[in-house]
Amino acid sequence: MTDAQNKADQQSRNISRTIGILAVVTFAMLGLGFASKPLYDTFCRVTGYGGTTRVADTNENLVSDRVIEVRFDSNVTNGLPWTFKPNQLSMDVQVGANNLTFYKVTNLANYPVIATSNYNLTPIKAAPYFSKLECFCFTEQRLEPGESAELPVVFFIDNQILDDPRLDDIKTVTLSYTFFPVDEKA
Amino acid sequence: MASLYPAADGHHDDGKPAFFRRWFYSTNHKDIGTMYLWFGMLSGLIGGGLSFMMRLELGEPGIQFFTNYHTYNVFVSMHGLIMIFFMVMPALIGGFGNWFVPLMIGAPDMAFPRMNNLSFWLLPVALVLLMTSFFVPGAGADNGFGGGWVMYPPLSTTGHSGPAFDLIIMGLLAAGFSSIFGAINFITTILNMRAPGMTMHKMPLFAWSVLVTAFLLLLALPVLAAALFMLFFDRNAGTGFFNPAMGGDPEMFQHLFWFFGHPEVYIMILPAFGIISHVVSTFSRKPIFGYLGMAYAMVSIGVVGFVVWAHHMYTVGMDVDLKLYFMVATLVIAVPTGIKIFSWLATMWGGSITFAIPMLWAIAFIFLFVIGGVTGVVLAMPAVDVVLHDTYYVVAHFHYVLSMGAVFGIFCGFYYWFGKIFGVMYNKVLAHIHFWLFFIGVNLIFFPQHFLGLNGMPRRYVDYPVEFTFFNQLSTFGALVTLAGTAAFFIMLIEAFIIRRPAEDNYWGEGATTLEWTLPSPPPYHQFNTLPRIK
Ligand code: HEM
Ligand SMILES: [Cu+2]
Repeated sequence: MTDAQNKADQQSRNISRTIGILAVVTFAMLGLGFASKPLYDTFCRVTGYGGTTRVADTNENLVSDRVIEVRFDSNVTNGLPWTFKPNQLSMDVQVGANNLTFYKVTNLANYPVIATSNYNLTPIKAAPYFSKLECFCFTEQRLEPGESAELPVVFFIDNQILDDPRLDDIKTVTLSYTFFPVDEKA
Repeated sequence: MASLYPAADGHHDDGKPAFFRRWFYSTNHKDIGTMYLWFGMLSGLIGGGLSFMMRLELGEPGIQFFTNYHTYNVFVSMHGLIMIFFMVMPALIGGFGNWFVPLMIGAPDMAFPRMNNLSFWLLPVALVLLMTSFFVPGAGADNGFGGGWVMYPPLSTTGHSGPAFDLIIMGLLAAGFSSIFGAINFITTILNMRAPGMTMHKMPLFAWSVLVTAFLLLLALPVLAAALFMLFFDRNAGTGFFNPAMGGDPEMFQHLFWFFGHPEVYIMILPAFGIISHVVSTFSRKPIFGYLGMAYAMVSIGVVGFVVWAHHMYTVGMDVDLKLYFMVATLVIAVPTGIKIFSWLATMWGGSITFAIPMLWAIAFIFLFVIGGVTGVVLAMPAVDVVLHDTYYVVAHFHYVLSMGAVFGIFCGFYYWFGKIFGVMYNKVLAHIHFWLFFIGVNLIFFPQHFLGLNGMPRRYVDYPVEFTFFNQLSTFGALVTLAGTAAFFIMLIEAFIIRRPAEDNYWGEGATTLEWTLPSPPPYHQFNTLPRIK
C-alpha cells in the first residue's frame, strides 16, 4: 500500500516538474519570437546581412590605391509627394578615403511633410565594408511646402575589404535609398 | 492518484458516462483520439472539396467557375491551412497519438486528461473561425483571405484590410495553442508514465515519433504565434513590425514563418514515419531493422530541421554564402531520412511479407515519399530553386511528401488499427478498391505537375496559357479518380459499420508485438489497471 502510494506520489512530482519545464520552454520560444525584432535588427547591423551598411564615428583607414565605383540610387514610395535625386550618379572612390556626396529632395506638396529613408548596398557581400560617418538617413527629414534641401552623405570603404578575397571581384557597388512618409498618427 | 483521471471519478472502472458527458466532457484518451479522427476526416472533406474545385477550374485554360479571381486565391489559401492544421495534424497526432501512445507505453491514460479535452475542443472553434472568414470582407470588397497559407505581409497586412484575415489569425492561434497543449501532454506522458521496464530504448517507434513531433511543436508553434500576434498588431494596432516605412521588415516575417514552417513539415511526417515502421515490421514478421538508428534518425531530423528554414527563401536576395549554408544544412537532412528508408527496406528484406491493406499503403508511402524527397533535394540547390521557386514543381514536391507521404501514413495507420479502434473489421475488397483508386489518382494529379513546373507554370493562378493544357487536363482527371477513391473509402467505412465483423484481439498475428495487441478490440474504457511489466 505505502509502496504503491509512494510510487504514485513520486510520479505526480515528476509530472509537475516536467510540465513546469515545458511551460518555461513554451514561453521562452514565444518571447524569442517577439525578441526576434530587436535581434534581427542587431543581426543585420552586425553582419551587414541584407545589405545593411555600417555606421562609424571616425575613419582611421590609410588610403589605398584600389578604386571602386560607387553608384547612387534613389526611390520614393508611392504616396510621398517628393522628388529625390542624387546630385551625381556615380563616383570613383579610393578605398579608405572619406567621400562626400549630396542628394537633392523637394517637397511638391502644399503642406509640410516628414519622411524617413531606408537604405541598402549591393552587392550584399560588400555592405559590411561600407561605413557612413554622416547620413541624412540617420534622422527624419521635414520639408515645408515647396521646400528643397541638399542632403549629405559622408562615407568611406573600409580597408579590410582588401584582405577579403571574396571581394576581389568588386569593381562597383550601388548605394540605394528609399524615402517613406512618416505616419504621424502612429 | 484518482484525481489524475477524472473520467474514473464516481464511476465504476469500465463504466462509460452517458453520451453527452462521454463525448463533450471527454477526458478519455481513446474517446478523444476517436473524435480527433472524425474531425480530421471532416476537415479533409472540406479541404479536399476546395482543392477539387481548384482542379476543375484548371481542367481547361480560361475561366470556368471562378469569375472572381480573388475567390480562387481564397480557395488555395484555405485548402492549405485546413489540410495542414485541421486534417493532417489532428489525424496523425491528435488521433493516432492519443489512441496509441498511452496504449503502447502501457499507461492508463494521458498525463493531463482535462487539458486533452481542451486541446480537442479548441480545434472546432478554430475551424469555425476559419470557415467564417470565407464570408466576410477580406481584400477590398472581396470576401475571404487570399494571401496563401504562408500569409506573407504586406499582402496579409495592407493587402487584406478586411476582417477575414483577423478571423484566420484568431483561428490559427486557437489551433496553435491546442497543439501546444497537446505537445505538453504527450511529452509529459511519455517521459513519466511508461510502464515498469519500458525504458526509452524499448519504447515503440510510434511513441518515439510522437515524442519528437511534440518537441518540434513546442519549439516551433510559439514562434508562429508570435509572428501571428505581430501581424495582428500591424493590422490593428498601428505597429510596424513588418512595415519598412516604420523601420520594420517584411522579410523578417518570412524568417519567423519558415522557422516554424520547416519544422512543421516534419511535424506532419514524423508520426507517419512511426506508423510505417510498425506496419512494415508487422507484415514482414521481423523486428524493425536498426531500431536505435530509426529512433535517433527521427531525433536528428527534428534537430537539423530547425536550422534549414531559409531554403524556402532563396529568392529574397540573400547572400551567396548564406545560400550555401542553407543548401548544405538542407542536404544533411537527407542522410537521416535515407537511414529510415533503407531501414524499412532492410526490415522487409528476407521477411515473410504479407501484402495486407496497411502494408500496401506502407510500401506506396516509401516509394512515393522517396520521389518527394528527391525533388526536395533538387529544390535545395539555390541555383535550381531560383528557377523553380513558386512553380508547380514545388507544388508537386510537397504533395508527394504530404498528399502521398502524410496522407498515405494516415490511411496506413487507419487500416492497421481500424479493428483495434472500432472493434470491427473492414471489407478487404472495398479497401483494395480505395487503395488502388487513390494511388493511381494522386499520382495522376501530381506527377504531371513536375513537368508543368519545369516548363515554368507558376503556382496560385486561376488561369494558364494553352501550352500547359495537356498536363493540366491529366492532373484534373487524376482528381476525378481520387474523388472516386474517396467515395470508395466512405463506402468501405459504412459497410464495415453495418456488417460489424468483430475484430479479434490481435488480428494481425505474430508480427504485431506492441502492447495494444495484448488488449481486446476495442480496448476496455480504462486499460492497464495493473500496469504491464516489460521484460
Ligand atoms: C529530403 C527532404 C526534403 C528537402 C531537401 C526539401 C526541400 C524543399 C525546398 C528547397 C523547398 C522550397 C521550394 C521553393 O519554395 O522554391 C521545399 C518546399 C516544401 N516542402 Fe520540402 N523538402 C524535403 C522534405 C519535405 C517533407 C518531408 C515535407 C512534408 C512532409 C516537405 C514539405 C514541403 C512543403 C509544404 C513545401 C512548400 C512550402 C510552400 O512554399 O508553400 N518537404 N522543400
Ligand atoms: Cu523546408
